[in-house]
Amino acid sequence: MATRIQFENCCEVGVFSKLTNAYCLVAIGGSEHFYSAFEAELTDVIPVVKTSIAGTRIIGRLCAGNKKGLLLPHTTTDQELQHLRNSLPDHVVVQRIEERLSALGNCITCNDHVALAHPDLDKDTEEMIADVLGVEVFRQTIAGNILVGSFCAFSNRGGLVHPHTSIEDLDELSTLLQVPLVAGTVNRGSEVIAAGLTVNDWTAFCGSDTTATELSVIESVFKLREAQPNAIVDDMRKSLIDSYI
Amino acid sequence: MRLEKCWFCSSTVYPGHGIQFVRNDAKIFRFCRSKCHKNFKMKRNPRKVKWTKAYRRLHGKDMTQDSTFEFERKRNRPERYDRNVAENTLRAIKTIDKIRMAREARHHAMRMKGKKTIEQKAAVKELEQSIHMVKAPLALQQEPSLTLPKIKVSVSQPLAEENRMEE
Repeated sequence: MATRIQFENCCEVGVFSKLTNAYCLVAIGGSEHFYSAFEAELTDVIPVVKTSIAGTRIIGRLCAGNKKGLLLPHTTTDQELQHLRNSLPDHVVVQRIEERLSALGNCITCNDHVALAHPDLDKDTEEMIADVLGVEVFRQTIAGNILVGSFCAFSNRGGLVHPHTSIEDLDELSTLLQVPLVAGTVNRGSEVIAAGLTVNDWTAFCGSDTTATELSVIESVFKLREAQPNAIVDDMRKSLIDSYI
Repeated sequence: MRLEKCWFCSSTVYPGHGIQFVRNDAKIFRFCRSKCHKNFKMKRNPRKVKWTKAYRRLHGKDMTQDSTFEFERKRNRPERYDRNVAENTLRAIKTIDKIRMAREARHHAMRMKGKKTIEQKAAVKELEQSIHMVKAPLALQQEPSLTLPKIKVSVSQPLAEENRMEE
């Protein structure tokens, strides 16, 4: 189910939060509104952790993670690192990496099996990604843009990419990532997908500016509507009914 | 808050002190005071500047390899907070500091070991050769305290030699 929310009147929810299958990180805002939205959806399922990274609130763009691990930039303070380690479950590996490109959320995008990385990342960082996140890493660009982490959001079931991605690129990425991909927009035509949308295998949160059309595209590509009983009955109708009288 | 090391002299930079310079390639340089910062701007190499830790380590004046240095390394993969571990760590910090001080003192002592005897020998030689710069030779003869006392050493086998000479 996709939910529309705002962070302090800003629709770029992917900037202020990070959602994975094992945990959710949320920025510390002036009011509890943003945190409550996540809490309402996710409380007993996965831990929702309020944090800052390097004293900032733009945590979604600074860190990269999946259910197996979390990568943080070198600017993360020791106290924040310790807080994250204490709040996250033990099977999630929390690692701080020394990398020139410190906005890891813009440079790395991943699901639980595959990751796309900025072409200029260090070799050591690439190995660290493969090690900590347990994924296969591909250096790619999306629609000619090197910031792969901002222009694409994908989960284990589907992905949404920059609207100007050509069909060949889309096919290539689709085969690399092994998930169905769609080129679309979020937040009334914003091309920066990952900034406007944060998604995991069963939920998605997008900015309140997202139109109904965009929302339906998101729900269909990430397969978020399947939990509803109507869909199940539709799928199984052919096997349930023997013959029509 | 983190106590960083000055890039130039390797002393600790406490909060509220120093300057941090970020270069275009995103490398961060931290300086403890303007002295180090100005030396850096002059493009001086800390390994050649005598009062820095880098020079002292390079030239063997200070300890380079020791297991106590391993404890102060920056760690990037934290462990879950455990109260007992934290308590033990705080206690251990004190003892490790003490041990490191003792080892550094020992390193210094080893370095300065032969110094006293060398100084002693040099002093004796100087007294012998250069005493004329302090006191005139005439005065030396008259005042016995300014020269080294002549020590009488008894030598064995003088009679055997005399016998041979006579024969």
